Order: sequence, then structure tokens, then C-alpha cells
Amino acid sequence: MPERPLQRICYVEDDDDIQRIARLALERVGKMEVSIIGDPTLALDGILAFKPDLVLLDWMMPVMDGPTLFKRMRETDGLREMPVVFITAKASPRELDELRGMGAAGVLSKPFSPKDLPEQLRAIWRSLP
Amino acid sequence: MTSGSAAPVDLAPTRNASARTEDVSGRADPQRVLADRVDQLYSQMPLGMSAHLLIGGIATYELWDERSRDLVLFWWGLVLLVTAARAVLYFGYRASASKLVEAAQWMRWLAISALAGGVTWGFAGAVFFPSHTDEQQVFLAFLLAGVASAGIPAYAASWPMFAMYAGVIVLPFTYVLANFGNRLFTEIAVLVPIFYLINVGIAHRLNRVFLSGYRLRHAYDRLTEDHTLLNKQLEQQIENLLEARQEVEASGRKLKLFAERAPISVIEMDAKSTILEMNPAAEHMLGYSTPELIGRSALHTLFPADEATITPGWWAQFVARKAPANRVRARCLRRDGLEVDVEFTITPLVNEAGDLVSIIAQCQDITQQLEAERLKKEFTSTLSHELRTPLTSIIGSLQLVNSGVVGDASGEVSELVGVAERNAQRLLDLINDLLDIDKIESGKFALLPESVRLGDLVQESLVLNKSFADRFRVGLEVRGEVPDVRLHVDRKRLMQVMTNLLSNAAKFSPEGSAVEVSTRCIDGQVRVEISDRGPGIPDDFRPRIFTRFAQADSTTTRHKGGTGLGLAICKRLIELMNGRIGFDQRPGGGTTFHFELPALADVTAT
Repeated sequence: MPERPLQRICYVEDDDDIQRIARLALERVGKMEVSIIGDPTLALDGILAFKPDLVLLDWMMPVMDGPTLFKRMRETDGLREMPVVFITAKASPRELDELRGMGAAGVLSKPFSPKDLPEQLRAIWRSLP
Repeated sequence: MTSGSAAPVDLAPTRNASARTEDVSGRADPQRVLADRVDQLYSQMPLGMSAHLLIGGIATYELWDERSRDLVLFWWGLVLLVTAARAVLYFGYRASASKLVEAAQWMRWLAISALAGGVTWGFAGAVFFPSHTDEQQVFLAFLLAGVASAGIPAYAASWPMFAMYAGVIVLPFTYVLANFGNRLFTEIAVLVPIFYLINVGIAHRLNRVFLSGYRLRHAYDRLTEDHTLLNKQLEQQIENLLEARQEVEASGRKLKLFAERAPISVIEMDAKSTILEMNPAAEHMLGYSTPELIGRSALHTLFPADEATITPGWWAQFVARKAPANRVRARCLRRDGLEVDVEFTITPLVNEAGDLVSIIAQCQDITQQLEAERLKKEFTSTLSHELRTPLTSIIGSLQLVNSGVVGDASGEVSELVGVAERNAQRLLDLINDLLDIDKIESGKFALLPESVRLGDLVQESLVLNKSFADRFRVGLEVRGEVPDVRLHVDRKRLMQVMTNLLSNAAKFSPEGSAVEVSTRCIDGQVRVEISDRGPGIPDDFRPRIFTRFAQADSTTTRHKGGTGLGLAICKRLIELMNGRIGFDQRPGGGTTFHFELPALADVTAT
């Protein structure tokens, strides 16, 4: 469990509406600092610049999907150890286990509950070594 | 007294032939052989009796003047009496209906008659010899020798009968000769028994020839019967064989037709995978004509070098095991160089001795099917994504409004936002259920089993469903002790089942009542019961309650909400976890749904 609390989140998400809801949920409900990146091809620079505690990655995005971006992060200096949580509309909450095992810190499903999202991320954060 | 009748004896069969004759004649019925001998003996009687009378008459005439007339007359009377008795016996035999059954009896009577005949001649020899004149002595000696030796052919069918007959003729005669005191007569008396014994010997051998003749005749009859029977059986067998051949030909034509017209490919190979035959569907699938492939190795011709399933190693194992291989998927190389995905059913054809005769491969091009499966999976995945993405925004927005983080909403606004959120949630549930059932039914459903405490499961399910039950003002209660056992189950999926059963029970319970959860262990099975005090399940709905989109009536559904998939999913999930699910009517009203799952054996405690 990391010593400091979870404070800075970077969310890579292509859907504008979901970006807005996630920002409200994390900033207003979770009281966190949030950076939303809409274009996954710009994500590596954006994450490096923002220096988040944790990155939330949408699974299905145009041009570059979540898993590919995740692989790029693992090949990039400064992002190799960055905790990543996938969030996906591909699977129901019951199917998420099948998507684990890619080395991500966690997997969340869409639709997510804005009330519960910050707490879900904190729980994952606490479970990190 | 010697005769030429010894001739047949010289026809001694060779050893092998004799062995064969004995073998064959051994099959004759002894009773029939005896009856034949008796018949042969009786058939000689008329001639014997006639000779008896004729010779007796001549002798009487010859002796009339020379001997005591009383004695001659007595003897003539004896001849007539014996002949009459023999005639009675003869006609009695002829008229008899029991010649076969009572053959032995007839034989005994005949022996007595032969004895009586012999006695009359023996009497003549003893009483009338020697005579006053040499001529008469010669006459008498000639007469006795004649009647005695005539017995050989007459009694050829029974040598003891001859021995007896001739014995009583020659013995008194010999006695008289021996005691007369004349040297010549004494010498004759010595010779007579020798001739007698020689004749008996000849009769004995003749008798054997007769016997084997009779036996052969009967054996032949028997053989003829057997032969006729065998012939008939043979004819029947030939007929059966012809019928069987026709049937085989018919089924052969049928099989050929099956193979030719079958939409699936059929390829016959030997143990080295050399192609022996194939049908038009196989030609079509592989793009080769049959003559192009016959004699070529299927392993080297049909499968690309990087084919991972049907390899030479796999083939060697298959040939060694000689067991059918079902649903083997492999890539095949067509003549035009294209690769197709093929599903094989490969069956070894084994004869009764267990040797491999050939190998039949039935196969189907599943390239399109695999593509369709891939497309369907992609479609389902895309559909899921495209449906959930807008719902994420809808549910998220409504929750944020109702949570107050974007400013307080007034009572009615909050209420309506709640309605919208609940219905968005329903839509999400429906999508999840539809995707679940699709996955389960396409067989692509993977469970992630773990060891879970039953108590934790029950508690968690109550916590998760409490807010839902509160909406219907229904309580959720655990009845009795929860056994301290663990289950090896997919926790999330079992929670899905519990949620389904609890929310159903809550939906249909009257306000103010409680849904009861009770658990127990029976024979290594954990039984969980969820009981409500609802209206019960209508009779006509019971048989299809676990089928998809089954709902008692649409009014209820509209009123209570639900997709009609919940129980169908529950049943499939419980069965996937090796359990059973069912329901009972509850005494006092209501319904109990229950399921049973195997408990983990090592930590079972009640």
C-alpha cells in the first residue's frame, strides 16, 4: 500500500460525455486532481507531463485502444511503473475477471457509478504493493 | 463236403479300405442288419423244404425194401412232420408284421427248425448206416455229405446255425463209423469231423462277408439319407447366401449413394494415410479430383507444413490407439493453395481380429462457420460497447444530479431523476442478461471458481439486495444457523443467482413480510432455500419457469419489472457449477426456491 493517498488521476477517454461525468465524479465526489486526455495518441506525453498517481484507461478507443497504449506505457521511461486501471464497456461487471492478467492494477466496468468511482479507485490504490 | 464257396473271402480289402468300410458300416443299425440276415435265411426255406422232401422221398424209396419198413416209415413221417412244421414257421414269418422288431425271436425259431431238419438227417445216418450193400452205403454217405454241405449256402447268413445243423447230421454218423470196427470206416470217421470243421470255418467266413454286405447296405442307406439331408441344407444355405449377397449388394449401393450424395466429405485412407477413396464432396472441398489424390499421402498432401493438430506424430498415435477421434479441427491445403478450416471425425475400421483395415475420415469445411463465429463475437462485443457507452453517460448524469454534487434538486425533480435512473439500470440489467445467456448458450462461458465460505456468501447477498428489498418494504432474514462450510464456486456468478432469487422473492412478497434464507448440509451437498409469502407460481407457468423470456403474465411483469431471463440464467449457472435448482410451493402460501451445490469435502462441518 502506497504511503500517500491517491490524489492525481489521468483519464484517457474518447467520449466527451463520459469525460465530463468522470471529471465531476472524481473532482467533486472524490476531491481529486484530474487530467482528461481525449486523444490516445497524445496520451504518453500528456501522462508524462501531468505525472499522475494512477492512470485510468478506456479499453476501446479509435486509432489506439487501451491495451496498446498500456503496452506503449510499459515501453516508455518514467511510465513503466505507473499503476494503470482499465475501464471498459466491452464486458459486464461479472466478466471483468477474464480481462485481468494483463498486468493492470485493476479493471472497472462501464457504466460506472459516479458516486462509487473514487472509492473504487482508492480501493485499488490501497491494494497496490 | 468241400465247396467252392470260399471264393468271396479272398476278396480281402486293403487295410485302409477296410478301415474305411468299418468306419462306414459302423453307422448301420444292428437291428436292421439282423432283420436282413433273418430275411435272407427265411428266403432260403422253400428251396430247403423242397429239397428236404425230394431227397427224403428218394431215400425212402431206396431204403424201402432193404430196411425195416416200420423204421423207414417212421423216418419218412418224421421228415414230413418237420417239413410241415417248417412250412408253418415259414408262412408265419411271411405273414408277420413284426419282422424287424422281433428279428431275434424269428432267428431263434429258425435255429430250432434248422436243428430239427438236421436231426432228421442225423437220425437217418445213425439208423440206416451201415447198410447191407456197398452201393447203398455209398448212396447214404453221398446223401449225408450232400445235405450237410448244402447247409453252407442255405445258412450263410448265420454260421452258428450251419454249425448246429451240420453237427447234428455228421456227429451220429461219425459215431456209428467209429464204432463199426472196419479200418476204412474208422479212417472216414476221423476225416468227417475235419471236413465238418473246415466247412464251419468256410461258413464262418462266408457269414462275415454277408454281414459286412448287410452292414454296408444299411450304412449306404443311412449315408444316402444323410446325403439327401446335406444336399437340402446345402441348397438352403446357397439360397440364404444368395439372399445375403443381394442384401449386401443393396446396402453397398445404398452406402455408395450415401457417400456420393452426402454433403460432408468422406475420405478413406490406410494406416500410412495413403488415400484409397474419396467422395464428390471431398473433391469439392479440396479442389482435387479423386484420381489425383488416390495413392498419395494425406498427411503430406492435405496438411500444410505448419499444421499443428494433425501431425505425423498425432497420426501415429491415432493408428496405435485405433480409437475414433471426434471433432478434430485442422487446417487443410487445397489444390489451389488456399487453406480451409476443417473439422474431422476420424474412425478406424477394425476387423474382428483387431487389425486396422482402413481409416474413414468424415470432414466438413468450417471456414465459414468459424468466420461467422468470429463475426458474431465481434458483433456482440461491439453491441455491448455501443449500448453501454450511452448508458454510462445517462446513469452517470442522473446519479450525479441525485447525489447533490451539482446542486440540490427539488423533491419532484429528484423523484423523476430517480425514475429515469432506475429504468436506465433496468436497461443495463437486460443488456447484461442478454449477453450472459448468449455466452452460456454458445458454450463460451468460463467460470472462475474459488473457495468461498457459505456464511460470507449469504451475508453479502443480503447486504447487496437490501436496498432493493427496501423499495418493496420487504425484509431479508436468515433463518437458523448457517453451516460452516466452504463451496468451490464462481463467487460473482453465485452472487448473481442469489441476487436474482432474492430480488424475485422481494418483488412478489406482500409489503411488510420478510424473505427468508435458510441453509443446510445434506450428504455433502449445500442446500440454500429462499422463501417468500408471495402469491405462488400459477400452475400453467411452472413447467416453463426456467425457460428464457418466461413470465407468468405481462401485467405482473410490467408492474414489477424484469427481463424474463433471470431464472433461465440461474438454472444454467447452477448447472455449470454442478448443482441443481428447483422450487416448491410453501405450506401456508408462497414459494420456496432452492438450489444445491457440492460442499468442499475437507472442511465440511454442520
